[in-house]
Amino acid sequence: MVREVDGILVAAHELKAPVSLLRQLALSLELTDTTAEQRRICAQMANVSERALLQVNDLAKVARLEDGLFDMEPVSVRGVCELVSRDINPLFGYDRKALQVKYHNRNHKLAIANAELLYSVIYNFCVNAIHYSESNTTSVLTVSDESSKIKVTVRDFGPALPKKIWTQLRRGGLDQPSAIAMRPGSSGLGLYISSRFAEYMNAQLGAVRHRDGTSFFVELPISRQGCLF
Amino acid sequence: MKAFIIEDDLMMSECVERALEQALPTLDNHVEQEHKILKITNAIEAMSLLNEDLPDLIFLDILLNGPDGFSFLNELISYDDTAKIPVVIVTSLNLEKYDLGHYNIKHIFQKETMTPQQIVEVALEILQDAA
Repeated sequence: MVREVDGILVAAHELKAPVSLLRQLALSLELTDTTAEQRRICAQMANVSERALLQVNDLAKVARLEDGLFDMEPVSVRGVCELVSRDINPLFGYDRKALQVKYHNRNHKLAIANAELLYSVIYNFCVNAIHYSESNTTSVLTVSDESSKIKVTVRDFGPALPKKIWTQLRRGGLDQPSAIAMRPGSSGLGLYISSRFAEYMNAQLGAVRHRDGTSFFVELPISRQGCLF
Repeated sequence: MKAFIIEDDLMMSECVERALEQALPTLDNHVEQEHKILKITNAIEAMSLLNEDLPDLIFLDILLNGPDGFSFLNELISYDDTAKIPVVIVTSLNLEKYDLGHYNIKHIFQKETMTPQQIVEVALEILQDAA
């Protein structure tokens, strides 16, 4: 197990350097005399590299979860969702898809979480939505308050989640990445990473199957610090 | 103006160099100056070049072939003339846990998030402060 974790860390670090370089090269190209179309492609290359870097960093974080290095603290879920939305919107656009963000948490309550891990969970939900939604559809990211929890949901419009994966999530998470058979091209890695991060944060990760897609959600405990006011 | 880029990945050092080339002409204030950017791949070569001519700014990677960036920084602060040279770290390491207070580090860039525009802004700010 230790060897496997070390291997993931080494692999993640090895991958980080070339992907960082690809991103820099794309950004450098933007500095030269380029046409609008070439600049658009450079921006796409940079954004796709950033997405790959995030996944590589997530792998490194999974390998380091056991060290308990990620502090849990009151986090503005809305703030994290705004960051994710800002960073991932271009990727939706490239695929002729869109992301709508809705906030139903009027009290702006904070959740007990780790902002970095929560960002990755929501980002992975959104990447999933980009991958599986039909063209010209709008996925919806919703933040809502429940009695003792804050719920973040990403609803996509594509093939429904297989019942097997849905059942595993319902039982408390995924033990390992598994290809989502009804969702071609999937390794299930993003969902596995999200599941591990949610487990670390004592959050509940789940999914709702729709006839025309899936809603992935994470429920986080509300911080009681807000009660002072 | 003279800058060192100490980085063992030549393509990455070229990216930093291209960004710096954008920044340097704006420093001139109507006076023609010669700018020199040296790309160096290891700390030993960088130290020997320091003996010849001091740079105004150093961009430094930490994980280098041979002695690492920390060895270079320790060498740098051990001489009175080199201790004052501003250093910008460019790394893929997370340096949060390191105590870097005694070095003359002006900025730390993470390779996976930095942009050419940020390199330009940081270089200009440091060089204008020093002028």
